[in-house]
Amino acid sequence: MAYALLLVFALPALGVPFVYMAGKKSPKAAAVLVALIALVNMALLFTTVPTILNSSGHEYIESYEWIPILESKFTLFADGISVSLAIITSVLIIVASLFSINYMKEKKNLAVYYSLLTLLSIGLVGVFITSNLLLFYFCWELMLVPAYFIIGGWGYREPYRAAFKFFIFTHAGAVFVLLGIGAIYMVTGTTDMFNAQAALMSVSPDIVRWILLALTAGFAVKMAVVPVHMWLPDAHSEAPSPMSALLSGVIISAGAYAILRLSLGTVFPAVAGTTFGIDFLHGLTIFGVISAFFGSLIALVETDIKRIIAYSSIAHMGYVMFGLSLFPSSAIVGTVAITAAITGTVLHLLSHAVSKGLFFLSAGAIMHQTEIRDIRDMGGLAGKMPFTAVASTTAALSIAGTPPFACFISEFLIFVGAFEVIQNDGFFLLPTALMLIATVLSLAYSLRYLSHVFLGHSKGESEKKIVDVPNYMKAAMAILVVLVIVLGIYPRFFIDLIQTVLFI
Amino acid sequence: MLMVGLVDVVLPIVSLVVFALLTLPVFKVIRKTQRKTGLTLIWFSVAFLVSGAAVANLALQYYALAPSPSPLPFLNITLTGPSSADFSSAFMIDGISIYMAIMVVAVSAVVLIYSIFYMDSSKRPSERYFAIMLILTAALMGAVFSGDLLTLFIFWEAAAAGSSFLMIYKKDPVSLNSTLKYLVMIIIASAFIVFGLSIVYGLTGSLNFWAVREALMVLANKDLLLIAFILIATGYAIEAAIVPFHFWLPDAYTAAPSSSAAFLSALIDQGSYYVLIRVLVFILTPPAVLNWTFMLAVMAALTMIVGNLFALIQDNVKRLIANICVADVGYNLVGITSVTALGLTGNLYFFLMGGITTALSFMAVGLISRHGFRTFDDFAGLGRKMPFASLALVIAGLSFAGVPPFGGFMAKYLVFTAAIQANLTWLAVIGVLTSVLQAAYLFRLVNYMYAKKPKDESVIKEPKRLLIPIFILVAAVIVLGLYPQIVFNLIKPVLNQLQFIQVIP
Repeated sequence: MAYALLLVFALPALGVPFVYMAGKKSPKAAAVLVALIALVNMALLFTTVPTILNSSGHEYIESYEWIPILESKFTLFADGISVSLAIITSVLIIVASLFSINYMKEKKNLAVYYSLLTLLSIGLVGVFITSNLLLFYFCWELMLVPAYFIIGGWGYREPYRAAFKFFIFTHAGAVFVLLGIGAIYMVTGTTDMFNAQAALMSVSPDIVRWILLALTAGFAVKMAVVPVHMWLPDAHSEAPSPMSALLSGVIISAGAYAILRLSLGTVFPAVAGTTFGIDFLHGLTIFGVISAFFGSLIALVETDIKRIIAYSSIAHMGYVMFGLSLFPSSAIVGTVAITAAITGTVLHLLSHAVSKGLFFLSAGAIMHQTEIRDIRDMGGLAGKMPFTAVASTTAALSIAGTPPFACFISEFLIFVGAFEVIQNDGFFLLPTALMLIATVLSLAYSLRYLSHVFLGHSKGESEKKIVDVPNYMKAAMAILVVLVIVLGIYPRFFIDLIQTVLFI
Repeated sequence: MLMVGLVDVVLPIVSLVVFALLTLPVFKVIRKTQRKTGLTLIWFSVAFLVSGAAVANLALQYYALAPSPSPLPFLNITLTGPSSADFSSAFMIDGISIYMAIMVVAVSAVVLIYSIFYMDSSKRPSERYFAIMLILTAALMGAVFSGDLLTLFIFWEAAAAGSSFLMIYKKDPVSLNSTLKYLVMIIIASAFIVFGLSIVYGLTGSLNFWAVREALMVLANKDLLLIAFILIATGYAIEAAIVPFHFWLPDAYTAAPSSSAAFLSALIDQGSYYVLIRVLVFILTPPAVLNWTFMLAVMAALTMIVGNLFALIQDNVKRLIANICVADVGYNLVGITSVTALGLTGNLYFFLMGGITTALSFMAVGLISRHGFRTFDDFAGLGRKMPFASLALVIAGLSFAGVPPFGGFMAKYLVFTAAIQANLTWLAVIGVLTSVLQAAYLFRLVNYMYAKKPKDESVIKEPKRLLIPIFILVAAVIVLGLYPQIVFNLIKPVLNQLQFIQVIP
């Protein structure tokens, strides 16, 4: 379709007033409308898949006039990686809005909530499907403001405090990204990622180095890698659960995607092969390992149901960071096919998104039905909430990296890639070993979670009868359960898509 | 060739003055009728339509002088005939002045409409207030079209000193005090400027922009010029409220009624800054008496830091925004550290966006403070009490903090990129870090408005008539932020002229 990607932007943007009006009448209608918009967007994204698979450049591009004076075009672009992430994002938006129907039922001002969700979805999808740096930054920040108000307005305990922390941390990161983008524009005269990549090759490495560091630091904040992770546990655990699913599934993945696409894809080739380039990748590895251990260990001792999952997100971003650091470091002549490690990393973003989305939704379901947050007060819920128990188990086992669930295959690919790299660079031997140990930790906290929540006997003197979740919540979780299993058994579709991408 | 005559240039200015003078007798009639507000609105709409049409006429005639790729001329329009054009020219038209004139008319019209509704409830006769606004707009337009240093000085001082009438409107001790402070500063500043200008005249024998510039280029001994430069720079720095000469601004803007503050921040503040750029950067800097890019950068950094730090500690919301006005001047200064296409685009876009955003926030705060909400504590829970005014204030705050897609983002992006281009990356970094600080204290305000519980649950009915001008500006902030090319198309002719005014390194 000629205007497919433009419509992906335009539909939610035009849909906001309709969602608001529908929400005034009935919140349910608004939720269904949000889901429908996301569904149409997903279909539109799928229409680009044949072009990506079959065309010679393996990409799909639409370009419109925007700000000629700044050499900026409204360039919408999809290749294997971006379209996969955008599709999964749309799925999560659908699921989050369906889940909200029951979950948010008692809350007020739902018309505003769903309007904000629609606005948010523009940024969430948009950030993956543009190759213009300015437009990328627009979407990057558009993820921020609606998320702030959703967390603050409908969250738990002291939501605005968590939202404020989220905003300031990620906004501070974003301005470094802005500096990097400004510097790229200044030294190359273009704001297109791919043109910039070619132009940067002839720029002095001293400048490129700073651009690379500024961009990566900014993205790492969004990705919540230790030591800039402080916003994540608060934001993820205080947010309403559908929003947590989007935060953990998409927003932090966007950080990882940006590092892959911009830091590594656009800027890094100019310093590849230098000592600095190799040190940079090794630095990423170290931060990745630290995050994986830090997140896993805290998840092992945390007792708040959502904070466990939040720390597990930090751990998993550690895996992703580790995977990213396996990016080919030598100066490459010509193009090479994407390596197993990078394929695994992108696939891990997808499988982590669906698994973690499911994990947060099921935790939300438990909180919604029992009104308890502390896992020490729970127990024996498997009998009372069988459906939620199945969903939680699927999610937890996937997060732990157990076959046949989604995260297993992607982690496996990352490790395969790691062993490939070790042959050339002995540095990675120890980190790879450590990461293997970290996977054991993730199994440990997943099992601890399951046993505390679902097994044993109920501890509370709950006079309230606990029943399983209502239908829309079930439907939302069912979609993700199916997806987690399908991605685990048959990841071919996405692997084929991802492997069409060439990093120069 | 010379199709643009003196009449074309004078018409927008004179028409505003005529309407201002007619305002008093016309109001004698309006006052007796039933539909007072409606007729007031019509009267001032006609005033702005006439003057807007005059500006449009001038712009079209000027653009017709040269087809689009070739650079537009700098048009000297003299009172004494073309033969002595070099010696004294009253008016000069170029791309920048046309752009500024359009901006002045448009923003002034919106602010005036707001003022009509804002002043509606007050008991005091207010037609003089509006007449003064018209005259100030006219004076500002005169300053924009000036072609020599003296004309510029006269028109600009008229606007600067005249704005004290807007500040003193409430006539309470606080506003008397701060207006007096303002007037003293303006008088000191103009003394500096006049002294500097007299030296320049002594050196060059002319006050015409181009004649001065060319005479200074070939000047052998530049010692005196350095003194003149410093005097003039100090004078204009005081008027533009650049740190360390900024302390009058927060007092003056806080004491003024909100509609005045909106007018002052959107027009007079930006105008003072325009004059600074015009005189210092385009006329006095090229002779290269001193390499003052670094000094300018330091002043910009100080203004950003001090403005934001003072804003951080404010408890009164209006005063907070007045301090952001100071910081905004700093951000705008970042743009002229490099007189390049990018920096100039950033400056001109910043004039518009900064002006609109400050005006918007003062207008929203004005609407809110009518109900007695002034400090952070008063603002608790305001998001539920006054949803629309709060939304406008949040959007203004996001635009200040440079969050896309609002206009402030593009303005900051342009000036910071220009700083990187001028090899002043440290300045861009300071700018970016202070922007984060800005986001932090503005979100502290948002936090008060949405997270805190209000003292009472009552919902206040917001007057629609005040919301309309506010939301016109909100729409401008969003549309011009998403699609800034609308403004850039107006700026483009300026960039074609830049080769003639560029600083010779």
